[in-house]
Amino acid sequence: MICLIALIVFGILAIFSASHRPLFKEALDCVGRRLTFRPCESKLDERLKSKITGVLLKRNKYAARFVYKRFEIISWIFLILMIGSIFFSAQAGYYYARYGNCNGPDDDGFCIFDPLGTAHEPGCEIDNPDYNPEDVTLPVVYDDAVSFGDENAKVTVIEAGCFECDYTRQAVPVVKKILEVYGDQIRFVYMDFPIKSHESATKLAEAAHCAHEQDKFWDYYYVLFENQEKTSNEELIQHAEDLSLNIEQFTFCLESEKYKSVIDRDFNNGVKAGIYGTPTFFVNEHVLVGPKDFNEFKVLIEQELNQ
Amino acid sequence: MNVEKLRKDFPVLNKDLIYLDSACMTLRPRQVIDKIIEYYTEYPACGERSYHKLSRRTAEEFENARILIKKFINCKKDGEVVFTKNATEAINLVANSFEFSKMAITDREHNSNLLPWHKFKHFIVKSNEDETFDMNAFQDTIKKVDLISFVFTSNLDGYTLPVKEIIKVAHENDVVVMLDGAQAVPHKKIDVSKLDVDLMAFSGHKMLGPSGTGCLYGKRHILDKMKTFIIGGDTVNNTTYDKFELKEAPYKFEAGLQNYAGVIGLGAAVKYLTPIIGDIESHEEKLWKYMRDNLDVEMVGVDQASGIFSFNIPKMTSHEIAQMLDSSANIAIRSGMHCVHSWFNSRKLSGSARASFYLYNTMDEAKRFVEEVKKIIELR
Repeated sequence: MICLIALIVFGILAIFSASHRPLFKEALDCVGRRLTFRPCESKLDERLKSKITGVLLKRNKYAARFVYKRFEIISWIFLILMIGSIFFSAQAGYYYARYGNCNGPDDDGFCIFDPLGTAHEPGCEIDNPDYNPEDVTLPVVYDDAVSFGDENAKVTVIEAGCFECDYTRQAVPVVKKILEVYGDQIRFVYMDFPIKSHESATKLAEAAHCAHEQDKFWDYYYVLFENQEKTSNEELIQHAEDLSLNIEQFTFCLESEKYKSVIDRDFNNGVKAGIYGTPTFFVNEHVLVGPKDFNEFKVLIEQELNQ
Repeated sequence: MNVEKLRKDFPVLNKDLIYLDSACMTLRPRQVIDKIIEYYTEYPACGERSYHKLSRRTAEEFENARILIKKFINCKKDGEVVFTKNATEAINLVANSFEFSKMAITDREHNSNLLPWHKFKHFIVKSNEDETFDMNAFQDTIKKVDLISFVFTSNLDGYTLPVKEIIKVAHENDVVVMLDGAQAVPHKKIDVSKLDVDLMAFSGHKMLGPSGTGCLYGKRHILDKMKTFIIGGDTVNNTTYDKFELKEAPYKFEAGLQNYAGVIGLGAAVKYLTPIIGDIESHEEKLWKYMRDNLDVEMVGVDQASGIFSFNIPKMTSHEIAQMLDSSANIAIRSGMHCVHSWFNSRKLSGSARASFYLYNTMDEAKRFVEEVKKIIELR
């Protein structure tokens, strides 16, 4: 059985190392022969057994004896463990590709492919110790919401975001991709949820609304996140100028705090819905908190589109 | 022979290594390595073919190596030492150049002294039950042949055939004797004149020399009668489009550009061995006896002190033993059939673990070997 383990191990090593390729071939030959009930001609199994025993013999003769006498059983155990390990690794890979984490949907355990756990970042949280992720419900979408796409689309994606939140910024590429891939099939709603501890969050949201007034919401959205540290009125007006907006209209809109009440309403609406941090996404009624992998959205959006 | 002093000449022994595979390949002393480097750095030219100084120096060193070897085996006449790339080539040279009708070999020949004779009518002289040479069987066979090619010392168990008697009987029957001396020449003083052997093959790499070197010793009148095997550059004095005039032996057998570095290195090896050759066999036998007295193993072949300790441990393969010794204690031995498949197959043995000694092995190494083999025995 050691040949089968060797086949897998040397097979992987052979991808990177030419010196392991002959060993892989030997293991392959050995496995082929064993499967046809013939002895392994290259004696690879014998060599591995005696090499392992020899190394153990140098350290502890009792351990060496134990392994030498039970080598076949130990090989079987390792083979079973290895097959199990390969199975779970493959499953984790599948989950990672599909859901952006190794452990399947709705699980935020450790993932080797995402060791820093960025896929499970909670996002920027409001100061509310009583929040409960399971209590988050779909917020009300008002008529004046910042909305794109067909209002009657089968799928509505809502982003509750804060322009000063770093986690919302991390989600920008995913939002962009969602719009690129599914823009013509879904309705996308941006809902303000300015975290109160972020001093300029409300003002930035107001500026975005002012840009939206001139049909430049997404351009302004991307510029705000690319320049998250620029929060003064002058800088916000400069962004508008860079995007060729009507500066007079934009400046008046911004300085008159035209959309402040709408933003406050959206925030309170979010709190009522149980939203506790940004970004929080909704794909119809499915809730995703924090910056997520595109694949997680893809799965949910396609699932909803196909229903 | 001061083994500890000699060991300092072998660079590889500075490492934590117990080398017990000299029957396959011996280690090389600094003197041999330096001589090869000297050729490549000081006179890396063709011998004889050109008139410049480098060429003359190469030719001189090359022929000097031949003289050293001639003295080492005490052959009396010039032109009796032919350079080959190893003992195998030397035996093939005889098989393809010496004219005979039927020949005999023993049942313990290395493939090198078995395969070249397959295409000829050949007899096998079987061993006694205790694996020693069967003189009666030999005397029955000798009457049927005109050539015998026997191993001098066997590489499977270190057993040395009674070559003096064999040669005497062979000559009484007008049979030409060739010896495969690959395992004998490096370990004991061989005097070809006293032995009166007709032909003898041996390898450089088993006697501290570079790999790719070997020799055929042959009595001059036999070499003169032998046809050529490989011909070409340096084997002839003159050629036309349809004729050629061969050189005398040994040159008629040494076709093409020679392995100058190797042969010159072999000369250095022989120079190194000459003053100590008489002490090597007894030193090796002491190591063998220590191992034999302290290990309870199954001996393979003739159970007699020699430079080779060939054994098996029940319920273990020889490869397992060799691999474990290597992994656990960095002890290098050989395992398997040692290119004597015919002997092992006929005895239904899968091989043996073979520890083979040389002048640089010590009693401490033998003790360490014994300790490690004991540990392996306990694994079962």
